[in-house]
Amino acid sequence: MTTSSKMQSRMKLNRPSVRNKTRPPKQRTPLGETFTAANLPAALSLQHCGDCGQVQYPPRELCHACLGDLVWRETSGSGVVSSRVDLHHSLWEFFKRHTAQQPWPIASIKLDCGPTVLAHVDLDSFGAAGANDVAAGTPVQVFSHSDCSQQAILIMVAASEPIATADRRHAIADRLGLLEPALKPGGI
Amino acid sequence: MRSYEGVALLAPVSFGYARQSPHTAPWFIGKTLKLMLQQSGLSKDDIDGFAVSSFSLGADSVIPLTQHYQISPRWVEQLPYGGASGVIALRRAARAIQAGDASVIACIGGDGAAHRSFERTAGEFSSFTIDSSFPYGAGGPNAAFAMITKNYMERYGATREDFARIAVDQRYNANHYEQALLGHKTLSVEQYLAARPIAGPVHLFDCVMPCAGGEGFLVMDEERARSTGLPYCLISAADELHNAHRDDPVQERGGWTEYANDLYQRAGLGPDDINLVQTYDDYPVISMMQLEDLGFCAKGEGAAFVQATDMRFDGSGPQSRKLPHNTNGGQLSVGQAGSAAGYLGVTETLRQLTQSAADNQVANARHAMVSGFGMVNYDRGLCSAAAILSGGNA
Repeated sequence: MTTSSKMQSRMKLNRPSVRNKTRPPKQRTPLGETFTAANLPAALSLQHCGDCGQVQYPPRELCHACLGDLVWRETSGSGVVSSRVDLHHSLWEFFKRHTAQQPWPIASIKLDCGPTVLAHVDLDSFGAAGANDVAAGTPVQVFSHSDCSQQAILIMVAASEPIATADRRHAIADRLGLLEPALKPGGI
Repeated sequence: MRSYEGVALLAPVSFGYARQSPHTAPWFIGKTLKLMLQQSGLSKDDIDGFAVSSFSLGADSVIPLTQHYQISPRWVEQLPYGGASGVIALRRAARAIQAGDASVIACIGGDGAAHRSFERTAGEFSSFTIDSSFPYGAGGPNAAFAMITKNYMERYGATREDFARIAVDQRYNANHYEQALLGHKTLSVEQYLAARPIAGPVHLFDCVMPCAGGEGFLVMDEERARSTGLPYCLISAADELHNAHRDDPVQERGGWTEYANDLYQRAGLGPDDINLVQTYDDYPVISMMQLEDLGFCAKGEGAAFVQATDMRFDGSGPQSRKLPHNTNGGQLSVGQAGSAAGYLGVTETLRQLTQSAADNQVANARHAMVSGFGMVNYDRGLCSAAAILSGGNA
């Protein structure tokens, strides 16, 4: 497997001495970049098949059901929790910075529109202390937001959490720490 | 499916296990080849088939390697199938031997372990990984398997004490296998349970240690094998299936369910006739799934099965049912040498069935199941493969 030169330079910056300045992984494939672009104006935009209508994730070139061509369309993010865990360890310094304080919760969600997505978990909206407190099968909603690496990531919140406005979604992404490019404990 | 009659597997080699190494994959693959030639008394030019698996060849493939080692094979194969590579390699090579496309095939998995190379493999494993799992903090496949483990525990009531059975018996086996990187340390259930958490229910001793190493074996027809004077093994049955059960929301089973019965039927054996089993143990939950899906117990009974089964190589455990499992310690205790890990179960099985294991020899080993599992592309492992091997001229 060849590592791209961009990834190589990002890997060089992924070291403990610069832990306080590291951001979430920025690396994406060209399709991943398209996911980010399609999600800038929407709460959640996923690829739909132009022929059969199937919704797709992760991003791909063709419909997984009929191999038809795909278009990005705004999609409802409602679904149910398939599985969820607290990460105590990561290979990426941004997450190490967070797991040093407390575990980082993530979940896999079966969306009502079909695909399974991985997402960061907003524990506050569930009133939960850890990922274990959110039971499998819980109805939830998923939305996208750009992190401080300027890439779209998915966030899971409780079904009752208001996420209709961009401000609300921004506030949730912010409280997860996904918008902090650097940790400055002493202030700027 | 046609039988694999007349094909022999021999000269298993495990080489150079190291936590980190300045050497790169071509060194581990080449050194493994050298030991295979030494063991079999063959020369480089006798090798006319070459199958390779490696994650860290960089710009190279099996073809540049032929110039590295100056060999001229008329049959080559590269198998980027992770933990299923070894079993798939033996299937491909066996068919090439039967078809007469090659007469002596070297199958080798090898990887280096340069400083921080695991991060690169994990971060750029596949396009789904890059776009949809690595950005969520997953340290390699830990997060995906943590979610699979969590789901399995909730669905079937398995506990960490059950997974401990697998890790602890494997460590006992590793204590008797010289190349195991963790073989110098014992592991108790208490130590297993007290390990630091990694992701959800996955703790330190549920995870393999990435390392460098090489694993390889030779494939040729039985007559040629006899002329080497070495003991060899035969393939009683083998099969594979990929991306099976693709609509399961979380992975609870692998492709083995679809062909396990067939394997036994073709081999003329049942699960009770199997003297030892090597599962692909990237995480204990996956070994438990393989024991279920390969018919050693019913789905959901894996936890009860491992509690009631002594999986040590020498049958020295207190449980009355004996089934030696991952008899050299598996990846959990030997280390995961990249793609070589997919060959580890095959080479260990060949040593056992030819009675050429050292301190960890299973007594009276005649038939073995070896299973492969690989390639966590996004949320689950996609490849499954399994073979029943039997001692040939022992």
